[in-house]
Amino acid sequence: MVQTETPAPTERGRRSYGRYTAGRLAQYAAVLFIALTLNFALPRALPGGPLKLFGSPEALAQLTAEERAQIANQYGFGQPLHEQFFTYLGNVFSLDLGMSLSQRRPVMEVLGEALPWTLLLVGTSIVITALLGVTLGVIGALRRRKGKGSGLLGGAIVFDSLPQFWLGMLLIVLFSVQLRMLPTFGAVGPDGVVTIGAVAQHLVLPVTTLTLTGFGYLFLYTRSSLLTVLTSEPVQHAHARGVPYRQIVRRHALRPALLPVHTIIMMEIGFLAAGSIVVETVFAYPGLGRLTFNAISARDYPLMQGAFLVLTVMVVVMNAVADATYPLLDPRARAGGAR
Amino acid sequence: MYRRTPRSIAAAGLLALTLAACGGNTAPVQNQGAPGQKTAGTAASVTISISSDESTLTPFTNQTGYPGDNLVNLIFDSLVTVQGDGIKPLLAKEVQTTDNKVYTLPLRSGVTWHDGKPFTAEDVLFSVDYYREHMEGDSAIDVRPIEKVSAEGDTVTMTLKAPDPEFPRRLLADMAMLPKHLWESVTKVKEAGTDKAVGTGPFKLTTYDPSRGYTLTANAAYAMGKPKVQTVKVVVIPEEATQFAALRTGEVHMSTRLVPPQQLQSFKQQPNIGIVEGTEFASTLLAFNTGRAPFDKAEVRRALAKAIDVNDLVKTVLLGQGTPGNPGFIHAKSPIKADELPPLFDPEGAKRDLDALGAAPGADGIRVLSGKPMSYELLVQSSSTDRLRAAELIRDMLKNVGVAVKITSLDSDSLDAKVWPDYDVAQGRNYDMSMWGWSAPTMLSSGMIAQLVASDHKDGPLNVVGFKNDAVDAVVKTLTSAPTMEERSEAAKQLQKLLAEQVPFLTLYYRNGTYAFRKDTYDGWAWQDGAAALNKFSLVDMAL
Repeated sequence: MVQTETPAPTERGRRSYGRYTAGRLAQYAAVLFIALTLNFALPRALPGGPLKLFGSPEALAQLTAEERAQIANQYGFGQPLHEQFFTYLGNVFSLDLGMSLSQRRPVMEVLGEALPWTLLLVGTSIVITALLGVTLGVIGALRRRKGKGSGLLGGAIVFDSLPQFWLGMLLIVLFSVQLRMLPTFGAVGPDGVVTIGAVAQHLVLPVTTLTLTGFGYLFLYTRSSLLTVLTSEPVQHAHARGVPYRQIVRRHALRPALLPVHTIIMMEIGFLAAGSIVVETVFAYPGLGRLTFNAISARDYPLMQGAFLVLTVMVVVMNAVADATYPLLDPRARAGGAR
Repeated sequence: MYRRTPRSIAAAGLLALTLAACGGNTAPVQNQGAPGQKTAGTAASVTISISSDESTLTPFTNQTGYPGDNLVNLIFDSLVTVQGDGIKPLLAKEVQTTDNKVYTLPLRSGVTWHDGKPFTAEDVLFSVDYYREHMEGDSAIDVRPIEKVSAEGDTVTMTLKAPDPEFPRRLLADMAMLPKHLWESVTKVKEAGTDKAVGTGPFKLTTYDPSRGYTLTANAAYAMGKPKVQTVKVVVIPEEATQFAALRTGEVHMSTRLVPPQQLQSFKQQPNIGIVEGTEFASTLLAFNTGRAPFDKAEVRRALAKAIDVNDLVKTVLLGQGTPGNPGFIHAKSPIKADELPPLFDPEGAKRDLDALGAAPGADGIRVLSGKPMSYELLVQSSSTDRLRAAELIRDMLKNVGVAVKITSLDSDSLDAKVWPDYDVAQGRNYDMSMWGWSAPTMLSSGMIAQLVASDHKDGPLNVVGFKNDAVDAVVKTLTSAPTMEERSEAAKQLQKLLAEQVPFLTLYYRNGTYAFRKDTYDGWAWQDGAAALNKFSLVDMAL
C-alpha cells in the first residue's frame, strides 16, 4: 500500500504561514469588534428599556420627567449613546462589565456563577450528542441499504424535529411525576447542598432532552458526509485494489468524512456558552441560557452585554481553534494554508 | 463485535448516567410533602414556587407586585394592614382622624427589628422622608400627598395636603417601615443588599441565591402574632408547567401561579392538593385609542362594546372561572361600592348604532365609515393564553356586526411600547385597540380609578387610552377632593355611570383567583383581597 507523507515545510512556507496566521488574527479582531458593537446596539434596539426594573408600571407612571432622568443617570443608562458605548468598550477591555441592573451585583460575578452550570449541562450533552450522533451516523451510512440504517435515519429525523420544550415536559411527567425517579427542577438538592449525586440527578433530564433533540443533526451530517466519501474516486480505487472494506472505511473514508463533522462540533462548543434557553427554563436550571433570557426580559443592558460577550468570545475562540486544528487533521489544509 | 460496539457504548453511557443519577434509588425524590412535620395548620417547612427572581426583597428591590410585594410584606410591616374589607392596625395601635386630613397614629410598643434594635417613631419619620426622596422600586410609595409628618413620644401625626378618607388603605397599608439605622446610609436604593432586608415582620430573610431562591425563617420575637410555619423556602421556577409538576411531586408545596381554568378540575381531583380561591381584582380590558378616529367618537366605541358578549368570554375563555366585566369597571366585590349597571351586550343594537352613524356594509361585508373600511388592528400579549383566546372571540363578535379585526400578537414590552411608551401617558400612543389589564390595587381605591380616565397627565397617569371628557374630568375633581368616604363613593358611582356611557375601554372580565397547594404539608392558606393567598394571615396567627 502506498503511504503519502506530508512534505516538510520550507522557509518560504513558514513565512507564508506566519502571514496567513497574522491575517487570520486580524480577521478575528475585526469580527470581535463588530460583535462587541452589535452586543451594545442590539439590547438598546429592543422595545422598552430598563426603566421597568425600577418599579411597577403603575408606580413608574407617577414619576415626573425629572425623576425618570435622575434614575436613568444614576444607574448609567441616561447618558448619550456614544458615551455609553465608549464606557462599555473601556469596561470590556478592563474586564469590568459593570453592575447588573436586575441583580444589583457585578456582571462578572453573576456570569461566573452561571457559567459552570452551563458548561456542565451543555458540555455533557455535547459530548454525549457527539458520540451518539457520529457513531450512529457512521452505522447509518454503512448500513444504509439495510433495515437498521433506515430505522436509524427515521429515528434521527423524528428526534431532530421534537421541540425541546415538549420533550422536556414529557420527560418530567414520565420520570418525575409518574415514576418519581428524578427531580423536576433545579441543579442541586432542596437545601442547596452541592453533592455529586444531587447534581447528577438534576442533570439527567435536561441532558437527555438536549441529547435526544440534538444528536439527529450530527447523525445526518455524519451519515451524509461518509456516504459522499464512500462513493468518491479514492475509495473506488481502493476497492479496485482489493483493500478490505473495513480498512477502506477506517483508513480512507472515516478521516475525510469526519473533517466537516469536526468543524460542526467545534461550532457547537462555541455556542456552549449560550447555554440552552429552552431547556434551562423548563428545568429551572441556573445556567447562562436562563440568565440571558432573564436579562433580555428585564432589559438589563449590562448583563445582556456581558452574556453576549461571553458567547462572542467563545464562538470566536472556538472558530480559531477549529481553524488551528483543521490542518492537523487534514494535510491538504496544511498545504493550502501555506499557499 | 464491531457491529455492536458503537451502539453498546452509547447505550451503556446513557444507562450509566441514568443509573448513577438515580443511584438505584427507587424512593421518591426529596421533600415529598414532608410527612410527619405537619400538625393541624402548622408546618416546619413550606416551599413556595415563584416565576422569577425578586432580588434582595427590600421594598425598593423586589421586581414584581405579585408575588414580590407579598414576599416583602412577610419581612416588613406597615403601620396598618388590610384584613377583609377593613383596615386593621399593625405597627400603629390605632388610626385616629376627625377630618381625614390629620391622621394620628400611636405606635405599638415592644416591637423590634430583626436585628434586635427597637422600632421607634424616628423610624416612621425617616421612612416617610426616605420614600419622598426615593420613588423608584416596586414597593416604593408615593408619599407626596403627605404634607408633613411629626412625632411626639410614640405617637406619629401625618398631615395631608388635602383630605383623603382612603389614605389608610391606599398609602399607610402599603408603606413598609424601614429601619433608620440601616437605611440612612443607602443612597442607591436599587443596589440595597440582603443586609438591608431587615424589617419587623414575621419572617427573617436568612438566605438568598438568585438562581435558587430564598429561605425565610420565622421571627420568634414577632410582636403581632405567632408564625405557623418555621421556614418558608422560595424557589424560582420560570415555567408554569414545571411549577405544577413540582407541586404534584411534592417538591413544591404552593405555587404562586394562577391555576389555569383547564387544569382546575384535574387539581381538585388530586388527593393531596388543595385549592385556595378568592376574588381577584385584576381586570382584563379592551382598550380603545380614543385619540384616533373613529375611536374618538363615544358612539363608535359604544357600538363596538355592544357587539361583545363578556359573558361568553368568561364561559369560553375562562371556563366559567371568572366574573364578567362591569361596564363601570368596578368589580362588584371591590371595597369601592360598584354601581349595578346593565350589561352592554346587544348585537342588534350595535348594528343599529353603526347604521345610524352611516357605516354601511361594503361589498365584502365590512362596514365603511367616513369613507374608510372599519378594519382595525387589535394588539394582544403573546404570553397570555386567555387574552389571545379572548382576542380571537372578539374578532369573531365584531365581524358579526361588520367590523374587521386583525390580531397582532406581541411580547409584553413591544405592546407596552405602543400602548404606554415608557409608562408615561404624555408620550402618546400608537394603536387602534389593545387587550389590556390593570392589577388588583387599581380596583381597591377610587383615587386610582380616577387616574385611568383623567385627561390631565398629572391626575391621569394611567390614562393609556388618551381619554378626554369634560364631564369625566369634573367628576374626577369632585372625587379626588371629596373629604369623606360617603362623598367619594357617590362621586365614584357617577364616574362609573359615565364610563359605561363613554366606554373609553370595555371591561371584559376579572379572572377568579385560584392557587394550588399541598394540603398534606400545610393547609393554612387564607385568602386576602388584593394579596391573594401569599400573605401574613396565611402564615401567621395574627393577634391584632
